[in-house]
Amino acid sequence: MKQFITSMIILSLAWMSLTGCTKKKDLEADTLNLALSANVKGLDPAQAGDLYSNTVIAQIYERLFSYHYLKRPLSLEPRLADGMPVASKDGLTHTFKIKKGIKFQDDAAFPNGKGRELVAQDFIYAWKRVADPNVNSEGWWIFDNRIVGLNAWRDGMKDGKVTYDTVVEGMKATDSHTIQIKLIKPYYQLYYVLAMNYTAPIAKEAVEKYGKEFLNHPVGTGPYMLKSWVRNNKLELVANPNWAGQTYPTEGEEGDKEAGLLEDAGKKLPLIKKIVLREITEDQPRWLNFMKGNLDVAAIPKDNFDSSVVAGELTDEMKAKKIELIITEDPDVTYTAFNMDDPVLGKNKKLRQAMALAYNGEEVIKKFYNNRAIKAHSPIPPGVDGYEKGFSNPYKKFDVSKAKKFIEDAGFPEGKGLPTFEFMAGSSSTSRQMAEYFKENLKTIGINLTITQNSWPQFTKKIRERKGQIWGIAWGADYPDAENFLQLFYSRNASPGANGSNYENPKFDALYEKAALLPPGEERTAIYQQMRDIIVEDSPWIFGAHRLGYAVKHGWLKNYKPHRIIDDKMKYYKIDKDLKAKLKAKL
Amino acid sequence: MWKYVVRRTLYMIPILFGVTLITFLLFNVAGGDPAAQMAGKNATAERIEEIRVLYGFNKPIHMQYLDFVRQIVTFDYGRSISSKQKISTMIFGESPELSPVLTSLSLTLPAFLLTLLITISIALVLTVKRGSKLDKSVMVICLALLSFSSLVYILVGQKWLGYELGIFEISGWDPSWTERWRYLTLPTIIFVILSLGSNILFYRTIFLEEIFQDYVRTAKSKGLGQKVILFKHVLRNAMIPIITLVVIQMPFLILGALLTEAFFGIPGLGGLIFQALNEADFPVIRAMTVLITIMYMVFQLITDVLYSVVDPKVTLK
Amino acid sequence: MGSVNVSTHTIPVAEEGAKANRNSLWWDAYYRLKKDRIAVISFWVIVFYVLLAVGCRIGLLFPHFAETNDALSYAAPNANHWLGTDFLGRDVLARAAHGTYTSLLVGFFGSGLAVVIGTMFGALAGYFGGKVDDLIVWLYTTVSTIPYILLVIAFSFVLGAGLKVLCLVLGLTGWVGICRVVRGEYMKHRDREYVQACTAIGASHFRKAFIHILPNVTHLILIQFSLGFVGVIKAEVILSYLGLGVEAGTPSWGVMINDAAQELPREVWWGLAAATGFMFFLVLAFNLFNDALRDALDPKLKNK
Repeated sequence: MKQFITSMIILSLAWMSLTGCTKKKDLEADTLNLALSANVKGLDPAQAGDLYSNTVIAQIYERLFSYHYLKRPLSLEPRLADGMPVASKDGLTHTFKIKKGIKFQDDAAFPNGKGRELVAQDFIYAWKRVADPNVNSEGWWIFDNRIVGLNAWRDGMKDGKVTYDTVVEGMKATDSHTIQIKLIKPYYQLYYVLAMNYTAPIAKEAVEKYGKEFLNHPVGTGPYMLKSWVRNNKLELVANPNWAGQTYPTEGEEGDKEAGLLEDAGKKLPLIKKIVLREITEDQPRWLNFMKGNLDVAAIPKDNFDSSVVAGELTDEMKAKKIELIITEDPDVTYTAFNMDDPVLGKNKKLRQAMALAYNGEEVIKKFYNNRAIKAHSPIPPGVDGYEKGFSNPYKKFDVSKAKKFIEDAGFPEGKGLPTFEFMAGSSSTSRQMAEYFKENLKTIGINLTITQNSWPQFTKKIRERKGQIWGIAWGADYPDAENFLQLFYSRNASPGANGSNYENPKFDALYEKAALLPPGEERTAIYQQMRDIIVEDSPWIFGAHRLGYAVKHGWLKNYKPHRIIDDKMKYYKIDKDLKAKLKAKL
Repeated sequence: MWKYVVRRTLYMIPILFGVTLITFLLFNVAGGDPAAQMAGKNATAERIEEIRVLYGFNKPIHMQYLDFVRQIVTFDYGRSISSKQKISTMIFGESPELSPVLTSLSLTLPAFLLTLLITISIALVLTVKRGSKLDKSVMVICLALLSFSSLVYILVGQKWLGYELGIFEISGWDPSWTERWRYLTLPTIIFVILSLGSNILFYRTIFLEEIFQDYVRTAKSKGLGQKVILFKHVLRNAMIPIITLVVIQMPFLILGALLTEAFFGIPGLGGLIFQALNEADFPVIRAMTVLITIMYMVFQLITDVLYSVVDPKVTLK
Repeated sequence: MGSVNVSTHTIPVAEEGAKANRNSLWWDAYYRLKKDRIAVISFWVIVFYVLLAVGCRIGLLFPHFAETNDALSYAAPNANHWLGTDFLGRDVLARAAHGTYTSLLVGFFGSGLAVVIGTMFGALAGYFGGKVDDLIVWLYTTVSTIPYILLVIAFSFVLGAGLKVLCLVLGLTGWVGICRVVRGEYMKHRDREYVQACTAIGASHFRKAFIHILPNVTHLILIQFSLGFVGVIKAEVILSYLGLGVEAGTPSWGVMINDAAQELPREVWWGLAAATGFMFFLVLAFNLFNDALRDALDPKLKNK
């Protein structure tokens, strides 16, 4: 027994002496330190479904197109493509040239470990992977029923009748650096889609070498390479010496020059050689680490807002630390959805409108977004083609007396005769709090809610099985086109598709199908707005807000201009080392 | 003895059956829909159906259970349906440094042993000084420590000790063996404080129960000193309940501490389970449950064997 | 009384004997507790909480706990709101006071259900032994083998969330410890003379197990119930973190403490302070009382 105790003492002493040396390792000065608020799942472009995996993939892989870093509204520019593509008159055939001399990063998958040149076949291979049912890519929707012969190839893969070598009519490499795409019908979102990570070229050798572990061995053509990855903790990226390179843009939008965003114009990218991405899921540690200078930039969690921002500006205390506030318009919409299949909610337009009128949108924005959002009048957010500034939704007004009148017109004076509805909230505190507030709002016109909290799988399951009644959710843009939002009301997308409200309106459907065949332009925008008006009148949703991204960054981080859709951004960032040494000492 | 071990090992089979059946039924019949989950935000009905076929979710429920049993027997759990990572790697890691199991253990094991050492020592002192002012005040402190929620310790510890005073790292992790301790100090302290109260009370009760046994009276009448009685007799006899408690807690140590891991960003198994639950990642949940079950049973066996070692009166049959 | 005595005369005596022992144990415990100052104070603290909860419930105390006021969101403690307000402008003190009711309810029913299930299974296993025992031991080994948090979450998936479900979940997962204790006690008691005597006069199994033996183990069950009570109140906080707590809008300490994870950084400390303070004194009182209760009821420690 004594021995036991002695050994325990020795053990604990050893342990304490180890922990005693808490001397801080100096953070390398020229390293970008960022936080991801959820864990990265894997780094296979075909599986780039979630925001955080996507963020990392975008630094390692490149696509045919990307967006100009500074210009707003977003403007597409060629990345791996050599100039913009050539389209046939009917808009069905598109020919893409790809740049010569682009190399994959060095990797053991290649002969001698040296990265080989990128060819057109690498794109075709990657796109077929997205279509391959065995790869089970979340991105299949971007090609589904769009490209001649691809759906047939996909079905063929299920029965093992075709292979990757089988040529797909609508997706061919006509020579080593030319790709030809043939569409079934016009698809004007094609170029946007080709700026998404799903379509990044992939070297067949790498997939063959790593097999299912390919998701942990990214082999890209981009500015950075994965150096190490401690799962659920952090990823380290380093500059890729094989990268073909790019220079910092020389022009931006108004105000960029004043903001110092053009100081590095024309310089060779990337400006930072090493990136450390930490996966920190809880708000408190993320915020405290930023305040200590361990992170260069952090989104302000809702509840840190009051202590750091006053009337849209940072507090003096924060300013003294040279911390800067960055506000961006995120192309997204939050909304409260009604299940149109519900016998009471689905049949009563007036009832839905009454609920929309009772919803105090301004107060929600104040309480839950700290004014970091603008009121949504329609599903189409700013920065997206089809958005109309100044458009006003007649039901997007907090007007209790009008709401009371509407509910009377609907046949339920003061809510009499209405059942208690179930409102589905998520499992987080914020989601619950917002639900509580909505409940209070509806109480004023006599409507009762019970709130249930659901884990994300339960939440999606209920919506997909059409079992939900009312719920709160949001949609973020995949690309800057209103079509991406209006598809949420198309009846063929009803549950289990993305149209969780199960909204069905033949008139809307006809317009949707018509707009899909039109090129961007006034005619299409007019139809988008017609569709929007139908939605606004039918009110299958209560529109919430278009959120503004509020981030704080330390003074030493330069060239920081975020946008939700621009993901290949870290190559532009720069750290002012001297300033960092000076400022960090004071934190 | 070996016969006993074999019999106990065989007894694991019905338990394993029960555990797998319960977890399987609870999650597969009533949990989320993994196919809908995997299809993502732009899902279509056809896609969801395709995934069902691809992963066998469309099979009758008993066939799915048989698949699960097959996995247990072959120790092949396949891949997570959410991250598509290999489950054995997710649990055991590519190398010892990156192993989530060892990560969780490097938080919980030292903290656990430290707690054991501190609490047994304090409990012994309290036993000797039972009824004194010291005894009473320590008891009250223990009960007070028990009366806060664990979340409060974490929130306040991180903000005050980590951020305001800057004594410890706020959160984070370094996989290297020599560096990780830096990040573990604060979580370890919190872990110890969290378990201090209940453990001291438990051991004190155990020792008190022993000290009024006849053999202690006999030893006293023989003229043995207090120390000898305490260490040689009381502690030895109290070993059985102590071992029981210690060993029963062991398998759960590898689960880590859910809240502590989440708030301090320690990439252990606690976070893994939490994430799996949030993503309807049934294969991961199943693998973890089976792992814990097996560990639990093995440790039970160890307890029984240890009993016979510390107490000759116990024979294994 | 070494062997079974068949004469009808002695049986009531055996019964009486067991009863007298039982009563003296309770009286003894009562006098012990009465002498223990800490126990008495703790008892009154608990009574105070119960009265507070009842007062809140019937609308006598803090009737305006659900009143919201957009203008007063997150007001710091002041003369009108002694402990400030929450995000909806509701009075934090009132919410914390009403949280007492929720906590006591969850504690009582959660722990109560666990005791009922645990006692029933434990009694059956210990009393009958053999196959029944094997089956129940198998059941509780299985349940205790599944990590607690997984079990709780799994049950919540099946049953949903909310106050009733919370009690149910905590009851369904918390019975194992009690079952073990009760089973052990029954195994000791089933061969005692008074039980054999009952067999002799033809008492049914049910009668023996639940009318005759049960009262002799009640003190242990009471201790377990009281311990479970505290455990359940604390478990509510963790379940709230997982989004599995009481229904939104119901005042609860668990919810208040969890909201503090977001409120603390914006220097809103009163929600945390109120909930923690209320919980602290109740749990502390319970813990102190439990301790005294155990000492008073557990004959082994009698000569302390």
